[in-house]
Amino acid sequence: MAARTLPKTDVVIVGAGWTGLAVAKELSAEGQRCVILERGDYRHDAENFGGPEEHDELKYARHKGHMIDTPTKTLSFRNNTSETALPMRRLGSFLPGKGLGGAGIHWNGQLWRPLPSDLNMRTHYTERYGAEILDGMQVQDYGVSYEELEPHFDFFERVCGTAGQAGNVNGEQNDAGNIFEGPRSSEYPNPPMKHSPPQKIFRDTAASMGYHPFPMPSANVTAPYENPYGAQLHPCTYCGFCERFGCGYFAKADPIICIYDTFAEEDPIEIRYRSHVLRVEKSEDGQTATGVTYLDQNGEEVFQPADTVCLNSYALWNVHLMLVSGLGTPYDPETGEGTVGRNYAYQTIAAAGVFFNDEVWSNPFMGAGAMGMTIDDFNGDNFDHTDLGFVGGGYISANQTNGRPINYQPTPPGTPSWGAEWKQAVRENYLHHIGIVCHGSSMPVQGNYLDLDPTYTDDYGQPLLRMTFNFPENDRRMSEYLVGKAEEIARNMDNVRAVSTVNRAAEGDNYSIVPYQTTHNTGGAVMGTDPSTSVVNRYGQMWDHHNVFVFGACLFPQNLGYNPTGPLMGLAYWTIDALKNDYLQNPRPLMDA
Amino acid sequence: MPASFSRRAVLLGLGASGLAAGAPGRAAAQNAYANLEGTPWFYLTDAEARFLAAAGDVLIPEDDYPSASQVGVVDFIDLQLASPWGKGDGLYLKGPFPDGATNSQGYQMPYTPAELFRTAISRIEEAEGTALADLDAAGREDLITRLSEGEMDLGEDIGAAAFFQELHSIVNEGFFADPIYGGNKDYAAWDMIGFPGAHAYYLSFVDQNVPYEKPPMGIAHIPGTRRSASLGASAGAARPANRTEEG
Ligand SMILES: Cc1cc2nc3c(=O)[nH]c(=O)nc-3n(C[C@H](O)[C@H](O)[C@H](O)COP(=O)(O)OP(=O)(O)OC[C@H]3O[C@@H](n4cnc5c(N)ncnc54)[C@H](O)[C@@H]3O)c2cc1C
Repeated sequence: MAARTLPKTDVVIVGAGWTGLAVAKELSAEGQRCVILERGDYRHDAENFGGPEEHDELKYARHKGHMIDTPTKTLSFRNNTSETALPMRRLGSFLPGKGLGGAGIHWNGQLWRPLPSDLNMRTHYTERYGAEILDGMQVQDYGVSYEELEPHFDFFERVCGTAGQAGNVNGEQNDAGNIFEGPRSSEYPNPPMKHSPPQKIFRDTAASMGYHPFPMPSANVTAPYENPYGAQLHPCTYCGFCERFGCGYFAKADPIICIYDTFAEEDPIEIRYRSHVLRVEKSEDGQTATGVTYLDQNGEEVFQPADTVCLNSYALWNVHLMLVSGLGTPYDPETGEGTVGRNYAYQTIAAAGVFFNDEVWSNPFMGAGAMGMTIDDFNGDNFDHTDLGFVGGGYISANQTNGRPINYQPTPPGTPSWGAEWKQAVRENYLHHIGIVCHGSSMPVQGNYLDLDPTYTDDYGQPLLRMTFNFPENDRRMSEYLVGKAEEIARNMDNVRAVSTVNRAAEGDNYSIVPYQTTHNTGGAVMGTDPSTSVVNRYGQMWDHHNVFVFGACLFPQNLGYNPTGPLMGLAYWTIDALKNDYLQNPRPLMDA
Repeated sequence: MPASFSRRAVLLGLGASGLAAGAPGRAAAQNAYANLEGTPWFYLTDAEARFLAAAGDVLIPEDDYPSASQVGVVDFIDLQLASPWGKGDGLYLKGPFPDGATNSQGYQMPYTPAELFRTAISRIEEAEGTALADLDAAGREDLITRLSEGEMDLGEDIGAAAFFQELHSIVNEGFFADPIYGGNKDYAAWDMIGFPGAHAYYLSFVDQNVPYEKPPMGIAHIPGTRRSASLGASAGAARPANRTEEG
């Protein structure tokens, strides 16, 4: 037990990223005293992310200056249960954040909503194709519908000043936007981003093939903008230092400028930095949590009692906290029983590289995290899956986001990876290339899950989280299909010299923790309406401990063909709504188990 | 010792087939070591420096544009290995380190970057009998090829291909990173590909199908020149200690 017990607070929030700061902002407005515990440091866009110093590819993109400190906190990994998991000794495949703003500081800002049919995926596919199409997969409904979440997606898009072109406002379709999207209640708050020459070629080519291109929705703001909390954002300069960097231009929506800066002095919010939460403490009857124990900045163990506990520490670490605290029942992949750690999923990434002749200048150093020209024709169930042998899909997008010289060295197929020929190819192709990403969904299967490592520990003496994951057959087939479509578009584009492809989920290749793919780790504490297959109910409230609320992508029963932050922030505001308008007046389970 | 130390002399000691194999004249003309010329290595030994210069120039040889060693990649590596990064501040190094790690599991060597380079280079030179830098161009290429293909025994705890990845990665970083870190001297690498650097504002260019003509400007650009301040003789001694503190 902790050496010292602090005075009780109303709400304790673990983590000061997008979800944690939103919870504090909204609940403090209801008079709730909120304590945020953040294991990293204070930092701010104005002081810490200004150019040109921030534009340091070695420090931030290679050495990952804004991200978790793997020597202190990491996880272990294996492809399947017959292997021994080994620690992820340094960052690679995904890049979780640390410090004020969390990973929302160094994200790209590709801001999506799920499709209506993504949210009731099991019901939808069963009705359209029959239940067998989901055989072997633990696909589930979210338990909450698109209509219920729409106001919250809309609100978060306004928090971010999202730049985009609506394709469906209240049922009215507009071909310039994504015609597949669910109906939205309003237009995007800002006009779409500009696009580079290769992106315009992609757009025209895709349209000529009968697809429906549109500008990717972007939290890189395109006009001076004030968000609903009163925060000011500035137009993006297309500087090309977005993903892995903080934005000193106040142009990429992030949790610091969009939420934290709008806290008023009188708001009952306290943020404690360098405060690492070790576990959630339970009441004697185990029905509720009593607060959290953490290591304070002096390394002293203290107990912070609270009426309500909110887990906002990122998808993976939320699951870790549950496992080390004994919240819920750990998942057992042998029996399929238990729920904590179940349905871990990821993102299935493939891409086509397009090499142009000298007629087309991409100038890849100009770009923005969410500067993309996208088609959604092969996402979700926007296309007929009969006889395809898989479910799900993904968007296909010509993105120009990160053309910095160490990490971006496109060379045509067949080029060696070093030496004279390589050097010449880098020189000739750098300014004339674009990547078309296939951002595929990820289906849950029995053998992919999270639990605690039996051998390795973190600096606090706690067992590491153990990840067991490989690409399911369904997703391999899906990815193959998507990359085929991307390649076809690439080959139809004008002035193309060569086309390359990569498929991370190619048949025979194992998922690897090494190459960066996405920081879209999902599941492990999924939401639903059945306590035997979900950790939290449809409000994000734990079935087993009703005063613990869970936020982030760990709630997703399976991963979408979209980036997670729009969806998970829609869910966050939905949960906040349930707290504000129901739970806090009368704390109790909001659903019967 | 500092007074008589010359990095250039150490590397040019590679001889006619040495630095930037085949073109030592150009290496001298590039004068890549001016900033750190009188400063002893922060971490490397002379032998390690020669190995890295020779290996770097196999990976990034001279053509119309300079080679790795010509733009200061050895200085870059020396500074990196002496920095907190080199001492492993980005690595979880708790054991055990069992056999049977798969490629999917990534870095599993029980060494910090500084220790790894020291250990691996000495094992390579020992196994081969002849220093890399003393081989002719074909011999160097052959050795690096075998290393990259894992066709070399570097002991139980270092896979040849895994070490090659680290070598390749740090040479590439030194060549293309901002010149403040000692490589990419006078923006040589950025000039080569057309990357304009860290001072970035492209609102009115991003949708244009034209080349972008402005010369590169790095983080510590010296206005009115085509050069960046880098870890010069004065700053050099102080910087490795605090440079990556936040990183
Ligand atoms: C490189 C990159 C690019 C991305 N691009 C996109 C994109 O374009 N579009 C998109 O939708 N998403 C993107 N994402 C994902 C996005 O960043 C996350 O979805 C989002 O930040 C999740 O918010 P969160 O509040 O759940 O967690 P985080 O933002 O990760 O915040 C969690 C916070 O909790 C703290 N914490 C963790 N454990 C503890 C503990 N035990 N005690 C105290 N504090 C703790 C952490 O330090 C951190 O600050 C990207 C992510 C990365 C890394």
